This record gives sequence, C-alpha cells and structure tokens, in this order.
Amino acid sequence: MNRVKLLFFATLRDRAGTKSMELEIPADLTVQGLKDKISDEYPNLKQSMSSVLITINREYAFDEAVIPQNAELAMFPPVSGG
Amino acid sequence: MNYPTIFSITEAEIDLNDLLAQITLRSTGAAAIFTGIVRGETKRGDAHDTEYLEYEAYVPMAEAKLKQVADEIRTRWPIVEGIAIVQRIGKLYPKTPTVLIACTAAHRDTGVFDAARYGIDRLKEIVPIWKKEVGSNGEFWVEGEYTPKAGE
Repeated sequence: MNRVKLLFFATLRDRAGTKSMELEIPADLTVQGLKDKISDEYPNLKQSMSSVLITINREYAFDEAVIPQNAELAMFPPVSGG
Repeated sequence: MNYPTIFSITEAEIDLNDLLAQITLRSTGAAAIFTGIVRGETKRGDAHDTEYLEYEAYVPMAEAKLKQVADEIRTRWPIVEGIAIVQRIGKLYPKTPTVLIACTAAHRDTGVFDAARYGIDRLKEIVPIWKKEVGSNGEFWVEGEYTPKAGE
C-alpha cells in the first residue's frame, strides 16, 4: 500500500467538507483509479470527477499516470484566477 | 544578463509603483502593464452586481506555475527585460486590483504588449487559483474552461 496526501480546493473542498485527507491506496493505483475510488467512497464528489483536474506533486497528471509513494495529490476544478 | 523576474501570490495590496521600479533597468524604455480589477457591475452577458470576490490558491503550486508562465514569456519574447506577475488572494471588493502582469523592454514595438497579454491569458489557464463570486446572483465558484495537459 501507498500512503498519500490529497488536497481539495474550491468546489471540491466545499463538497468534500475538508481541505485535505490522508489515504491508503494500492501501490499501482493510477489517477483514473483514484477518481473511481473517490467516486465510490464519496458520493458528494462523484459529479465533480468528469471535469476535475488532478495534480501529482504539484504537476498536472494524465489519467494513466501511476501515483508514486508519498505523493502530494490535489483535486480541483478548472482554474479561474486573474 | 540577469533580468529581474518577480512572481508571487499575496494577501497584500498590489503596489504597482514598487513592482515597476523592480523590473525597470537602465536599458528599459517601455512597460506593458495589465491589471485585473473586481468589477462591481457586470453588463455583458448575464447582467449582475458583485459584492465581492473571494480568491484562494494552491499557493506552492501556483507560485511554481507563475514562474513557469514567466519562463514561457522569456522563451517566446527574448527581448523582454523584467517580468512581474502577482496575484492577490482573499476577499476583494469592487474597484480593487486583483492581479498584475507587467513586462518591460527597451522599446514598445518589441512585442512587449503581446508578452503581457500572453501572461494574463496563460495565468488563467494553468495557475491553480479560484474565485468565489458573491453578489446579486448568490454565491458561486467561478470555473475556468481550460484543461491543462500532463506536465503543462
């Protein structure tokens, strides 16, 4: 298993009801696998998963990317700075 | 030549004069400056009034991405001398500057306007910052439309 930190921002934080959580995930879990897991375990977040952006160690990640050990992950909607 | 590059996420008021001084060299003859401002009355599209905007950022990643935007500007417009990109976060009221991007160059006809334009457009695509709008339409998170590619 792999222990990771997951941060939420904006709508994702509101729906999750928390800024961050620690997760135990399988060692070979991909970004898509993480989205599926979050959809299953947190129904409030399911509707966000189609457009969510996911970062691994502060870089945007593909759905096929495998999540490394002790990663800092983040989930958030398309950005709206400016 | 080591050109000045400033990039930050801050809760403090944006000080244009100070930033401009920091990116002005003896060889500088032009500065293109864009600043975004909280609009209290929106007339275009769905007309509404805004009481305030509340900005938040994934600060360490946002600062790294601001640096990346500055690097991309330098790759595309090597004539640019100084670059300042600053995003203010927190609760911001109408008429308040929220973001500033300034590029300096020797002359105005060097692409320096395009460089500043690219900076604000790119910030809105890849820098992890969000704003919640509170006003006559209620309270909602503004969401962008761009999906960054892996490694972007």
